[in-house]
Amino acid sequence: MTTTSPAPTSPASAPGSARSLLGRVRVDYRILAGLAVIAVAMIIAYQWDSQQTTAVAARTIREAAPLILAALCGLIGERSGIINIGIEGQMLLAAFVGFMVASSSGNLILGVMGGMAAASVAGLFLAWTAVALKMDQIIAGTIINIFGLGVTSFLYVQGRTMPSVPNWPIPGLDELPLIGSMLFSHGPLTYAALVAVVVVHVALFQTRWGLRTRAVGEHPSAADTVGVRVYFVRYRNLAIAGMLAGLAGFALLQSASVFNRGMTNGKGFIALAVMIFGRYRPFGVLSAAVLFGFFNALQAQLQFRQAFDIPPQFFGMIPFVFTIAVLAIAGLRTRPPAAIGQPYEKE
Amino acid sequence: MRTKWLRLLALLAALSLVAAACGSDDDDTEAGSSDDTAESTDDAAEDDAMEEDDAMEEDDAMEEDDAMEEDDAMADGDVPCEEDDVLCVGLVTDVGTIDDKSFNQSAWEGVQQLGDAGAHVDFIETQDSVDYGTNIGTFVDQNYDVIVTVGFALGEATLEAATANPDTYFVGVDQFQGEAVDNVAGLIFPEDQAGFLAGALAGLITETGTVAQVLGTDLVPPVVAFKEGFDGGVAYTNPDATIIATYHPGGLDVAFTDPTWGADTARQALDNGADVVFAAGGQTGNGGLAEVAKEGGEAFCIGVDTDQWETVPEAQPCLVTSAMKLITPGVVDIVNAWQAGDAPSGNFIGDVGLASYHDFASVIPQDIQDQIEELTPMVLSGEVSTGYTP
Repeated sequence: MTTTSPAPTSPASAPGSARSLLGRVRVDYRILAGLAVIAVAMIIAYQWDSQQTTAVAARTIREAAPLILAALCGLIGERSGIINIGIEGQMLLAAFVGFMVASSSGNLILGVMGGMAAASVAGLFLAWTAVALKMDQIIAGTIINIFGLGVTSFLYVQGRTMPSVPNWPIPGLDELPLIGSMLFSHGPLTYAALVAVVVVHVALFQTRWGLRTRAVGEHPSAADTVGVRVYFVRYRNLAIAGMLAGLAGFALLQSASVFNRGMTNGKGFIALAVMIFGRYRPFGVLSAAVLFGFFNALQAQLQFRQAFDIPPQFFGMIPFVFTIAVLAIAGLRTRPPAAIGQPYEKE
Repeated sequence: MRTKWLRLLALLAALSLVAAACGSDDDDTEAGSSDDTAESTDDAAEDDAMEEDDAMEEDDAMEEDDAMEEDDAMADGDVPCEEDDVLCVGLVTDVGTIDDKSFNQSAWEGVQQLGDAGAHVDFIETQDSVDYGTNIGTFVDQNYDVIVTVGFALGEATLEAATANPDTYFVGVDQFQGEAVDNVAGLIFPEDQAGFLAGALAGLITETGTVAQVLGTDLVPPVVAFKEGFDGGVAYTNPDATIIATYHPGGLDVAFTDPTWGADTARQALDNGADVVFAAGGQTGNGGLAEVAKEGGEAFCIGVDTDQWETVPEAQPCLVTSAMKLITPGVVDIVNAWQAGDAPSGNFIGDVGLASYHDFASVIPQDIQDQIEELTPMVLSGEVSTGYTP
């Protein structure tokens, strides 16, 4: 068999490749329209009150960063056919290991690497249960969550400190009005999140790696037929995805500068909603995460300025209510990768 | 199709975990209003939702207890608390650890001072808020004479244990006593006065005219007292200043343990033009302090509860002072009074004050320091009203 045609040549995925080509054009158009609306809204807000608008915009991106990284972890897993609801646990493990390494070595780079390694190992564990044990992936993910919370809570000793992650304003660009504070005055992990969106998008849709990943997620037996090593792809991708979850965990430390028990506070679960709302596409993930970030920024800003005399818990609830609404609407319309959650049985 | 539903189901289950966690906070507030039936139903619901977590945390707690017992095995064996001539003081922490650089640690230091004076002392770290009663019960069963419970959240459990064990004396740190119970002393503090002094200082040292507060939750009265007092202090010294303040939007279980939120919010406050940030909210506030410290001296921060210069060293680049509750001497005073046969019951009001300026003593102009020094006794005596009414 020659390799002139893409791997998934079965009837089920043949329209898929055509759709993705067309789909990209359509999505681009919609993204442009959406961006235009957002830009106009931001300019109007900026005219009205530049300081508050800038503060909210900056917080939005800052808050979105860990969600983006975590959701991309889930996205790569699901595109490879493995459901990962263990992101919360992976982030927590990464934050813990990252903190302990950074705190004992005094070196942030080592800390990031430690965190990524920890989350990556958890990802490999998930792949192992899914590929080798053919276990229910939801249960395996839950195990990671419970293990992550339990083991970090147990091992953590208070009283340690780590060097704080510095902000890296980009010279020249960070002085720009609005955009400067919003995009160019953050810490390294926030930039990493924004870069990761582009990298994962290109990798997923323009490279051989991406094609094989999607083939394995949509139709593993077809991929197997043309010589893609399904098991290997799943192991490798879960390890890579775990590194992104590791960055997400360390992104929490970038803000907090200290580890705390259960410090993910459900962000790993929100990332799953972000991924589904983002329709399993990196730029979709970016927009969904920014939306969640925006709600968090808005609630703090409204309180700051005492715009309404409403209990803070009410605003705290909004992102969660929104999540449920979004899942109810978007979740039903979104088509997940076809082979997701199914163990692949080599014939 | 099947998988899609499975996925939705899984997500719902996941969300319900989050929701359950959020829900439990409200339970705690209800517990504060001593609504027993509501509490027990809520607890049951919470138990269902958190089954797995609980099971796990219990395991953890057990392991930790085991470890602790090994350490203290000899002491426990040797010191029979049944005997009248041995003073046994036990301490139950709020969720968190004994060396939390905050409440638990301050109270434990007080108990340790009693230990140095000859008492037998021990502590239990609470892993989960459902274990409050059990942990207190452990000390009661070992016939401890005095049990110190740390934190507003333990108030209900403390009162229950006190009613059931009239021979044991309880000290509840930060637990306001609505009705005095003979064998319970609630160690409370006029947080509004500490907040007022911090606010007065903030009003004097701000250059932008905007001061910010990053707070734990308004579900806990002392936090509200800090905030209102701070507002009053700023208005007293700098009526033109803008005060921006935000409470954590979550409940009791996350509001004090979310440093990421604290940091992001402190950053947002700085972006709003604030140059002094008062962070009052446990770990949440500490995250805020660390974020302001990244400004490298461009902005100031003020800590809370203990002298955070010692406890959060990463905040030293910005930390001018801390609005302190003097928990350690408060605990010692109460237990000493109890030993002397003059046991306080109801509310015992401890002392508050500002911590040392440390390195900022040379940064803050002398006339400002003088003004604060002059103001301090007036505020503590009530001569200057903080504007806070509980």
